[in-house]
Amino acid sequence: MNKSRIWKLAIFGLAATLTLSLPALAQNADRDNTLVVAIDADPAPLEPGTNRATPLGSEVIINVFDTLVGWQSPNFDKLEPRLATAWKVSANGLTYTFTIRSGVKFHDGTDLNAAAVKASIERTKKINPYMAAYFGPITSITTPDPNTVVMTLERASSVFLSWLAMPQAAIVSPTAAEKFGDKFSVNPVGTGAFIFESYSPDTVVLKANPNYWRGAPKVARLVYRVIPNASTRRLELEKGTVDIVQQNGQLFSIPVEDIKALRNNRNIKIIERESQIIRNIDFNNLNLRGPLADVRVRQAIGYAINYDGLVNGVLGGTAARVFGPLTSNSWGFNPKVKELAFNYDPNKAKALLKEAGVAPGSLNLKMYTFTGTSWRDIGTFLQANLADVGINLTLEQPEFAQLREIHTKGNFDIALDGRQPWYNDPEAHITIGYLSSLAGTALNFRMPANAELDNLILKAQTDSKLADRKASYFKIQELLMAKVPGIYLFNPKIIVYHRVNVGNLVINTAPPLTEYYRVVKIRY
Amino acid sequence: MLLFLIRRLLAALPVLALVVTLIFALVRLIPGDPAITLLGPGATDQQIEALRQQLRLNDPLPVQYLGYVGGLLQGDLGQSLRTNQPIAAEMAARLPATLELAFWALIFSLLFGLPVGILSATRPGGWWDNLTRLVSLIGVSAPTFWLALLAQVIFSLGLNLFPVSGRLDFFLEAPRITGLLVLDGLLAGRLDVTLDALLHLVLPASVIAAFLGATIARLVRTSMLEEIRQDYVNTARSKGLAPRVVILKHVVRNALLPAITIIGLKFAELLGGAILTETVFSWPGIGRYMFEAISVRDYPVIQAGTLMFALIFIASSALADVLYSLINPRIRLE
Repeated sequence: MNKSRIWKLAIFGLAATLTLSLPALAQNADRDNTLVVAIDADPAPLEPGTNRATPLGSEVIINVFDTLVGWQSPNFDKLEPRLATAWKVSANGLTYTFTIRSGVKFHDGTDLNAAAVKASIERTKKINPYMAAYFGPITSITTPDPNTVVMTLERASSVFLSWLAMPQAAIVSPTAAEKFGDKFSVNPVGTGAFIFESYSPDTVVLKANPNYWRGAPKVARLVYRVIPNASTRRLELEKGTVDIVQQNGQLFSIPVEDIKALRNNRNIKIIERESQIIRNIDFNNLNLRGPLADVRVRQAIGYAINYDGLVNGVLGGTAARVFGPLTSNSWGFNPKVKELAFNYDPNKAKALLKEAGVAPGSLNLKMYTFTGTSWRDIGTFLQANLADVGINLTLEQPEFAQLREIHTKGNFDIALDGRQPWYNDPEAHITIGYLSSLAGTALNFRMPANAELDNLILKAQTDSKLADRKASYFKIQELLMAKVPGIYLFNPKIIVYHRVNVGNLVINTAPPLTEYYRVVKIRY
Repeated sequence: MLLFLIRRLLAALPVLALVVTLIFALVRLIPGDPAITLLGPGATDQQIEALRQQLRLNDPLPVQYLGYVGGLLQGDLGQSLRTNQPIAAEMAARLPATLELAFWALIFSLLFGLPVGILSATRPGGWWDNLTRLVSLIGVSAPTFWLALLAQVIFSLGLNLFPVSGRLDFFLEAPRITGLLVLDGLLAGRLDVTLDALLHLVLPASVIAAFLGATIARLVRTSMLEEIRQDYVNTARSKGLAPRVVILKHVVRNALLPAITIIGLKFAELLGGAILTETVFSWPGIGRYMFEAISVRDYPVIQAGTLMFALIFIASSALADVLYSLINPRIRLE
């Protein structure tokens, strides 16, 4: 081969490489402008009318739609205007008047106005069984003018605004909902920061809404990739093919050992926030049988548990201690609860059992909990703790529907479970957990009727002043701490892993979902 | 042959009717209730009851059954309880992924299993035979998720040869014609799509092939050894035919027959979706779809999926019979 041919070949090769890499360059620019989020399952349905409060779909909803009001980040302790710029509550707490933001358009070009808000809420109320409990009390919605919506409730509820801040209360385009019919669940159209682009079994693609009323998003596209396996999510994140890996707020998606490895990776940052989820032991308070009827025996169980060992050992620091009926990040949390809470003191536990006349080894308890290895590990740990003070605990993990039946029918003495509130208010834990009229209608503490407690719970639910409600919740917590209806264990943290070049991530706590409109991807 | 196929299909009808009825009854016997499972641990009785009404789970079973069969007769598989979407469309979106993976896994398995099996049988007990028997044993017995993770860590994260998971780089924006991405790339003249789809296929197809290829190798070896002992092989050898000719023209042809049946059934199994492989490699196929459906007790999806598997099994065993007759003209289909 002579020299000139080699040159020609080289030049040709170079030209070919350049031509071929042009699309690749364009692609890289696209990549820098796209946020890829890994999720663990198909997120559909993607709109408020058909989604039943599943975490993944709800997150797509809060990025494609807006609610009338929302919690202000980063503390989520105050409601802020969203599609409603202002609201007024009548003195009797029954009438809510909202002023609707003007100049906002849905992604399909139609206008957001009072009529659209009315149609949207009425649609969700009618077709979403999950929302029946929250929209059910609305007796009428009227629109006196194009920018005003008046909702009338059948009974006053101080949490109504919190309900309106739930993803499932978001406002949809009535025109699009009608146009797509059943297909609307995979063709969502809202007013949100991102416009829905496509849905397939393994990806949901959203693109930036340049006219978003809170300002256009900082990334051009938001892509959700369905990656069911936790180790695969970890590998994709380490490789940089995924920017953000979310835990979905239920126990843990990424194993504790993997979390430790990711903590040492300098390309990855971890955001941890305490959630408002509570994991606890509950007693069958409506039917406390045998030694459990004695509060000293319940207290002994509380003193027998090594809380630090549970949180830092079994759970590898992915959880925080919960001291009472509310998490310490709730605005209703009474700081006195920390003093009233049990601490690990096996000797005190043994002394209390002796006082109650329970001989070591004579108390046998069967504890019911959910299926899965995480629950089993926690159960096994508690089993060892109780064995140390002479209580024999066995563990049962029936399938969920069966567990629910055993629990709601009251065929148990002790159970390990907990609650994830879907709206940001102490009411979400207290009313459903402890109001005696709701005993046995959900996984709750099955509280017997108690006039003082019941009245306080109902008062806190309807009082309009925050200070009054706070006072009621403080009192409720103290009453409950004395009754020992359960043993409060821990609060799984919301853990989000992201590549170092992702910035401005703000993590909501109740429900644990992320809004991406302010998130940036920094280019290297 | 045509007559044979028609008869086979007619004979399949009662089997299908039985499958439809049996599966309708069986899914309702699995403990669990779709309304309870879909709403999760936080739900109240009120919410569960409202959802049961909406999903028509409170209708008497005969009413539900007649509705289901009536729909089937009109070609309607029903709607998913979880997503509210028509099941036929959801299946159609996922079937190509499973089909493509199964096809390449079979190709990889045959490329490995056939030569290895044939070569091992020519010198049983030799070093090659011992080596491949050991490799096959590992292939058959290694857990899929472990092999998959190992492959991802070594070939993707370590050597950066293949993507970790998924079917296609999202940024390529593939043309969707058949849903089989390698083919779609070729049809649309997008070689970048074909190449990327192939790169995504290598690891999951190899993981499945580790098992299937090893099974085929062992099967072919055994069947070859039996055939080699036959008299006609001695005759051929004593006629002075070259050993290569004896093996390839005579022994292999006869030895493949039993292998084909097994391979056909294994392939049908793959079409049902390799749940573990699909999970680890984020492969949006039928296996994952069924797995998600079962975990939330999505009755109509479980029913439709099982019905589809039954159809695939019936079709593939008929196909294996046809292949039989093509390879061995002594067998006639009547």
